[in-house]
Amino acid sequence: MKKVLNITIVIAILALMAWGYAGAAHHSAHASQKGLDPKEIIFSHLGDAYGWEVPFSHSVRIPLPIIVIGSDGLNVFMSNRVTGGDTYNGYKIATDGDYKDKVVQVVNGQQVRPWDFSITKNAAGIMIAALVVIALAMWIRKWYKKNGMKAPRGGAGLLELVVEFVYFDTIRPIMGKDAPKYGPYLLTAFFFILTMNLLGLVVIFPGGANLTGNLAVTMVLALCTFAITNLTGTKHYWKEILWPDVPIALKCPVPMMPLIEFLGIFTKPLALMVRLFANMLGGHMVVIVLILLTFIFTNMYGVGVGAATSVVSVALALFMLVLDTLISFIQAYVFTLLSTIFISMAHVHEEEPKLEKK
Amino acid sequence: MELFKPEFGLVFWMFVAFLCLYFILAKYAWPFIIKSMEERADMIDKGVAYAQQAKSQLDNAKAEADKIIAEARADQADKLREAEAMKTQLIENARAEAIVEAKKVTDAAQVSIEQMRKESEKQLKQEVSEIALNIAEKVIRTKMASDAAQQELVAKLLQEVETNN
Repeated sequence: MKKVLNITIVIAILALMAWGYAGAAHHSAHASQKGLDPKEIIFSHLGDAYGWEVPFSHSVRIPLPIIVIGSDGLNVFMSNRVTGGDTYNGYKIATDGDYKDKVVQVVNGQQVRPWDFSITKNAAGIMIAALVVIALAMWIRKWYKKNGMKAPRGGAGLLELVVEFVYFDTIRPIMGKDAPKYGPYLLTAFFFILTMNLLGLVVIFPGGANLTGNLAVTMVLALCTFAITNLTGTKHYWKEILWPDVPIALKCPVPMMPLIEFLGIFTKPLALMVRLFANMLGGHMVVIVLILLTFIFTNMYGVGVGAATSVVSVALALFMLVLDTLISFIQAYVFTLLSTIFISMAHVHEEEPKLEKK
Repeated sequence: MELFKPEFGLVFWMFVAFLCLYFILAKYAWPFIIKSMEERADMIDKGVAYAQQAKSQLDNAKAEADKIIAEARADQADKLREAEAMKTQLIENARAEAIVEAKKVTDAAQVSIEQMRKESEKQLKQEVSEIALNIAEKVIRTKMASDAAQQELVAKLLQEVETNN
């Protein structure tokens, strides 16, 4: 029975690959006329969009609301009114210029960017991720209410394992008595990032948005850590920055050490932001490039080479996706761990020398 | 390059979503989940400690019970021995007492027998003397019909009395 199932799965995968390859050959036949532009393809896949692609179609998209505040006030309409290249109420998606692929208002023949609060693909993805996290948290809460002191099994056990790992084995040993105060923020950040990372790996509708590989998303996360670190920092933390314990010569005539420490305030969240962004973006980019190799080789050497490449590409892409799953967890954990360390470093007290030892 | 320019709208929605998520989870989920996990961990720790304690107590109880049984056995043997000794002692005592008592009873009996014997002797003597007197009286009455004989006898008796004294 199991053997039959395995064989069916393999045949299904091969059939899908054949179908995909037929599509690919068709696509590249098109592309060879216009010239295949890998860079365009990669960035259009990694970037944001109005509307959400559906599988096997390049033109059909799930419409999403566009919310813009232009010179004529607030405008709300569905994205399918403009994604086809149409103009609606003076708004259209720019095809070139500074605001390429963004909604612009045409005023006197000039393209003006309005305040754009659209629920784009990424914004919708963020909301879906948030809802998934809330659903998970509420589910485990309900589970605890119902089962109380029973040993967790199945999904509850998995979630508990992660909470145990992040909170009890990481946040609490580092933060000590501050853990209950900042734990909820750090846990929220961890689960939100993890969910966004994993959703980004799913290629069809609820997933597929490159969320954590987008600088806006990681910037908000890093800004939150930055705000918490500096707004709740103790007197001693600021003293360490403005008047650190170094020889006078290093800080008196030229405030070299204070300057370095002061820059450190900003480099820490910057590192958080860029690390998560670059790791996730890199993972997605490699997968897309590996798949694109099929098209590129077909374009260069013909269909036979392309077909051979497709097998290698899919295998490598699959490997990369598995690796990305691991990276999703690691990056979410690293973000949380570093946030924990930054926040706990802002809570040093002079009478607690053992904290600095850690 | 679009990817490296944070889009304002996305920042806004991300911020809103993250904030909402934080407030919902910080209020309803994390404290409750953490508390539940801690409580259960505590309970498991306590349960293990309790089980260990109970086990050690059980082990001790067995040893203690063995000790008590051994003690009881020793006690029992002691008690038996003591009882045996007491029994012999008692029997011995009783025997001695019985002997003493018996002796007393025999002595008393002897004394009373002696007394009775003496009494009966006395009585017998009296009776005998009475009978003798009666006989003598009768004899005398018949024999002493005459005054001469009476005087002779009186004299004779007086002589006898004199010689006896």
